[in-house]
Amino acid sequence: MVNANLKNLALEWCVSENPKIAPGDYYCASRDFFIAQADNLSADLKIGGKINDSDAYMILAMIGEIGNNSFDHNIGNWPDAPGVFFGWSIDNSGAQIILADRGQGVMATLKKIKPEISNHQEALKVAFFERISGRAPESRGNGLKFVREGAKATKIHLTFISGDAQAELNQDFQIGAADRNIRGCLAIIEIKKR
Amino acid sequence: MKIQIKKFGEMLMSRPAGREAYLALSAYLIKGVDRQELLEIDFEGVKVLTPSWADEVITKLAQEFPNIKLLNTQNSTVEATLKTLRKYSDLKI
Repeated sequence: MVNANLKNLALEWCVSENPKIAPGDYYCASRDFFIAQADNLSADLKIGGKINDSDAYMILAMIGEIGNNSFDHNIGNWPDAPGVFFGWSIDNSGAQIILADRGQGVMATLKKIKPEISNHQEALKVAFFERISGRAPESRGNGLKFVREGAKATKIHLTFISGDAQAELNQDFQIGAADRNIRGCLAIIEIKKR
Repeated sequence: MKIQIKKFGEMLMSRPAGREAYLALSAYLIKGVDRQELLEIDFEGVKVLTPSWADEVITKLAQEFPNIKLLNTQNSTVEATLKTLRKYSDLKI
């Protein structure tokens, strides 16, 4: 099920010093293109009944929140390449879906309203668990709480990396150090066929 | 009055799309409607709803209309989104 090539492509794009190397079909430079691709994924997830409709819709909602977060929090402020990497691989054993961006990352985004955050692991904990307020006139900031609940409900496995922190979400939530530093965010969703 | 959310689409995912939906609602559907009137929000036919979209529409409608009834909320994303908004965005429905 794990498509090492897809994961490597996403990783390469995330950490490349030359962000102009776009990962071909997986690159969504704009939000509109990302939404259109999510629609295509919706059809692919349901082919052959590998994933039931209810779980497929929930997984799409989680992907919507993660991908839209990239645009919401970086629009007008992308450090270099705008947009997201969005790719998936589906076979008889399940599916793997990868989202990545070269944005500010969770810690830099959250430090604007919570300057006391001192490291990436703390930033991920806040993003996935704490109610975030004080973003007036914006009210953004609840998406990853929804994603955490969605991971439990759909029994998927989500790896979420930002900076040097890595969160693992399934029925539990674990946080630790990542192997590689990702300036923006990298999310890998793994779904086993039920 | 009744608002049929599926008229904005089956997959309702982004905050800008929610903002646009609320602008359309404000300009046409709820313009001039007595704020004390019962407002029914019907999710029938919605496949994917996210907190980002709903926060721009449902949370704002709830701030304007004290009498709201939610219909057909059985879809898993609708249920989970409403739960998230109640917990983290002060949605009081």
